[in-house]
Amino acid sequence: MSTDPYSANVRELFDAPAHAGCLEGAPSASAEDQGVRIRLCADVSQGEIRTLRFQAWGCPHVIAAAEAFCAGYERRPASALLEFSATDLMESLSVPVEKTGRILVIEDAVRSLGGVVRGASKPDE
Amino acid sequence: MTDQQDLIYLDYAASTPVDPRVVEAMTALMTDAGNYANPSSTHVAGRRSVERIARAAEQLAGLLNTDADNLIWTSGATESDNLAILGAAQYRQDRGRHLITMRTEHKAVTDPFSALEKQGFEVTWLDPEASGVLDVASLEAALRQDTQLVSVMHVNNETGVIQDIEQIGTACHERDVLFHVDAAQSVGKLPVDLEALPVDLMSMTAHKVYGPKGIGALYIANRPGVHVDPLLFGGGQQRRLRPGTLPAQQIVGFGAAAEIARSRMSDDIEHLSALRDRFWSGIRDLPGVMLNGAIKHSFPGILNVSIEDIEGESLLLALEPLCVATGSACNSQNQEPSYVLRALGRSDALAQSAIRFSFGRPTRVDHIDIAIERYCSAIAKLRGIAPERAA
Repeated sequence: MSTDPYSANVRELFDAPAHAGCLEGAPSASAEDQGVRIRLCADVSQGEIRTLRFQAWGCPHVIAAAEAFCAGYERRPASALLEFSATDLMESLSVPVEKTGRILVIEDAVRSLGGVVRGASKPDE
Repeated sequence: MTDQQDLIYLDYAASTPVDPRVVEAMTALMTDAGNYANPSSTHVAGRRSVERIARAAEQLAGLLNTDADNLIWTSGATESDNLAILGAAQYRQDRGRHLITMRTEHKAVTDPFSALEKQGFEVTWLDPEASGVLDVASLEAALRQDTQLVSVMHVNNETGVIQDIEQIGTACHERDVLFHVDAAQSVGKLPVDLEALPVDLMSMTAHKVYGPKGIGALYIANRPGVHVDPLLFGGGQQRRLRPGTLPAQQIVGFGAAAEIARSRMSDDIEHLSALRDRFWSGIRDLPGVMLNGAIKHSFPGILNVSIEDIEGESLLLALEPLCVATGSACNSQNQEPSYVLRALGRSDALAQSAIRFSFGRPTRVDHIDIAIERYCSAIAKLRGIAPERAA
């Protein structure tokens, strides 16, 4: 029986959050709720996410989930942001059910970022 | 997970390793060659077991400067607290049903008081000052004609704050009110002279002072009106106050630990003070860091610090391989901010960021230096990845 509240995956992502930071001048979106603050930035070119960065204030699962999202969504179409669901992240990181609300804050931020990116990529009318 | 050998244990307020001399004394009692017999048996082996228990009681009594007959063995401080509070309240309920305690007490004290409230007793819950210390004037103001029991801990398990039990006990005795002290964090660590102190009931445990888990004691002063009703029934042991077969090897372990503590207490205090001061000097300049509980009123083995704008659970993980506590160990599975720190006036966020560092005999200076480095780097890391607060 494991008594560790964190999976190996969470520990690894929390220890070395390679995508922590921000991108100056890039589209960004924030969300805050459940004692969690999250800000995401995306460098998008020709409809593809080139680089993602996050800033987060929250428990280890939140930081690990933010890192996992950023690592998993680079090189994907920007439109994928609008369809992002936190369910897969919750499963892959074994996030306890009582923390669902916190991870959904990330989902809010990602979808918000998708909206910002889509708005920024529309040609001026 | 971190390997055992990499761990730096700074949670001595939660539990301590058993001193090898204590292990030796206990082991000798547990084998064929030892006096493993039931101390309730009347044969020679049983009587030898009784003698070993009596010797242990003398050792503990010597640490506390009291008579061994005033000590009742229990399973630990939680049971001692329950026996003292529930037992004294029941014994004296015909005289009155008003009781007083503090909001910053351990759950082993607050929960029995809450249970008594449900039984119709009236409980006054006193708040400490911001320093964590009880203003004795507020206690005096709360004492009434029908007050029967006051319970205030000696050293707070979360903050290390020391209460002036002499002054509190004097105020109680002037009004013929029983005074119980939860001394789980002080017996064997700070001088406790029960001959001199106006204390009627005192709870203690072995495992906080390099003895085994599963054994504690309750001191019951030998003076008129001081008595507790038993909580357990089933035998005549210990004057029927706490029946059950006495765990001789545990008791002998507690006795040995008490004797060791008595012989080296001043050295322990000096050692812990140096470690505590070194640690605080190493982190005190971090922006937003603050002490919970006044250091000048605190036991040097415990330092509790909060820091602004840091999430406590992430801080705890970032501090690994340090073994430290958020709130009390009994409360660590609970995500609620510490009720003790809230009673000191800390906000939920500051209480949630609190870490209790507690030091012990095995703690070395290099452990402290690593702890300073880990704490500072963890704070830098978490602040480095946190977004600005919304305006």
